[in-house]
Amino acid sequence: MANMIMASSKPVITTIVASSSFPSTPKLQKTPQLSLPRIPTPNLLKSQQIPTLKSISLLTLTSLSFAPPSVAAEIEKAALFDFNLTLPIMMAQFLLLMFALDKVYFTPLGKFMDERDAAIKEKLSGVKDTSEEVKQLEEQANAVMRAARAEISAALNKMKKETQLEVEQKLGEGRKKVEAELQEALANLENQKEETIKSLDSQIAALSQDIVKKVLPL
Amino acid sequence: MNGISCSINALNGLYNISGVEVGQHFYWQIGGFQVHAQVLITSWVVIAILLGSAVIAVRNPQTIPTAGQNFFEYVLEFIRDVSKTQIGEEYGPWVPFIGTMFLFIFVSNWSGALLPWKIIQLPHGELAAPTNDINTTVALALLTSVAYFYAGLSKKGLGYFSKYIQPTPILLPINILEDFTKPLSLSFRLFGNILADELVVVVLVSLVPSVVPIPVMFLGLFTSGIQALIFATLAAAYIGESMEGHH
Repeated sequence: MANMIMASSKPVITTIVASSSFPSTPKLQKTPQLSLPRIPTPNLLKSQQIPTLKSISLLTLTSLSFAPPSVAAEIEKAALFDFNLTLPIMMAQFLLLMFALDKVYFTPLGKFMDERDAAIKEKLSGVKDTSEEVKQLEEQANAVMRAARAEISAALNKMKKETQLEVEQKLGEGRKKVEAELQEALANLENQKEETIKSLDSQIAALSQDIVKKVLPL
Repeated sequence: MNGISCSINALNGLYNISGVEVGQHFYWQIGGFQVHAQVLITSWVVIAILLGSAVIAVRNPQTIPTAGQNFFEYVLEFIRDVSKTQIGEEYGPWVPFIGTMFLFIFVSNWSGALLPWKIIQLPHGELAAPTNDINTTVALALLTSVAYFYAGLSKKGLGYFSKYIQPTPILLPINILEDFTKPLSLSFRLFGNILADELVVVVLVSLVPSVVPIPVMFLGLFTSGIQALIFATLAAAYIGESMEGHH
C-alpha cells in the first residue's frame, strides 16, 4: 500500500524494468498501478529470465517508497496528493451551494415548519381556554335553571294558597246555605209537625167522642 | 519465447480492461492552473441533484405534508437536531452550513457508489465520488476551520484567543497543534474512507466479478453515510466548542 501512495515513483521504475524485459508492454509504464497483481504474473512466465533484475527492482521500489514527499515531487507530480486550482474552486462551489440551498430550502421550509408549530400551539392553548369558557357557560345555565325553578315553585305555592282560600270560602258559603236550608226545612218540619199534631189533636178529640159514642151504648 | 510474449500480451490486455487506475486525473487548464475535471463534473451533478430535488419538493408547502415535503422536513429536523445538540441554543445561523456540509458529503458519497459513472468514458481517469479527491476534502475541512474561527471570534472577539491557555498555559503548544490537526483529521478521514472503499470495490470486482462485491458495496454505502454524519457532527462540535464558555 505504501507503494501506491508514493505512486509517483513507480513510472520511473517501470521504465527501467520495462525497457529491459518487457518489450511488448509499453502501456504499463504510464499508469501507476497496484504492485500486487503485476509482480506474480510476470514471475510465472519469465522463469527463464534473470532473477536478479527482479530483486534490484524490488530494492529500488522499497528504497524510493521511503523517500520524502519532496523527492517524489521532483521526480514526477504526485498523483494522489495533487493539490491544484480544484481546491479553491470546490470551496467556492460549496459556499455557493450553501447560499443557494439556504435560500431555496432551509429558510423557507424552516420558516414554514416553525409557523406551523406556532399555529398548532396556539390552537392547543386556545382549546384549553374555550373549555374554561364552556364551564363558565354551564354554570350560568345551571344558575338560570335554578332561579327559574325557584320562581316556578314560588308561583305554584302562591297559586295553591289562593285557590285553597277560594275553595274554603266557597265551601263555607255552601255550608252556610245548606245549614240555612236545613234550618228552614227543620223549621218547616216542626211547623208541619205541630200542625199535624194540632189537626190530629182535633181529630183525636172527634175520634174519641165517636169512640165513646159507639162504645157506650145509649 | 514467442508463446510467452503472446501470453504476456493477452494477460496485459485483460489486465488493462480490469485495471485499477489510482491517482489518474482528467486535467483541464484554467488560466495558468490545472484542475481535476472529473471532480468538478461530478460535483456539478451532485449540486444539481441537491438543488433540483429541494426546489421540487419544497415548492408548495402544505400543512399536511406530501411525501417529498415530509422527507425534506425530516432531513431538516435531523440537521437542526445535530446542530442544536452540538452548538447549543444559538444554533440557528449555523444550520445552513452544517446542513449543506452533511448533504453535500452524503450525496457525493452515495452518488459515487450508486450512480453508473462508468458509462461516461473520460480520456484520462474516471468519474467517481467528488469526495475521493484530496482537494475536495481539504476544501471542506478548511471551510470548517474558517467557520469555527469565525464563530469564536464573532462571539468573543479577541478574547477567543484566551482559550489557547485555557486549562493551563502548559497546554499552549497542544492547543495550537489542535488547530492544525482538526482540519487534517477531518479531511483525511473522509478522503481515506471514500477512496479506500472505492478501491476495495473495484479490486473485488476485477478479481471476483459476481455477487461477492455486493456486501462490500452495502458496507460502503453504510460507512460513507456515517462519514457524512461524522464530518457534519464534528464541524458542529468544533463550532460549538469555540462558541461556548461565554458567561
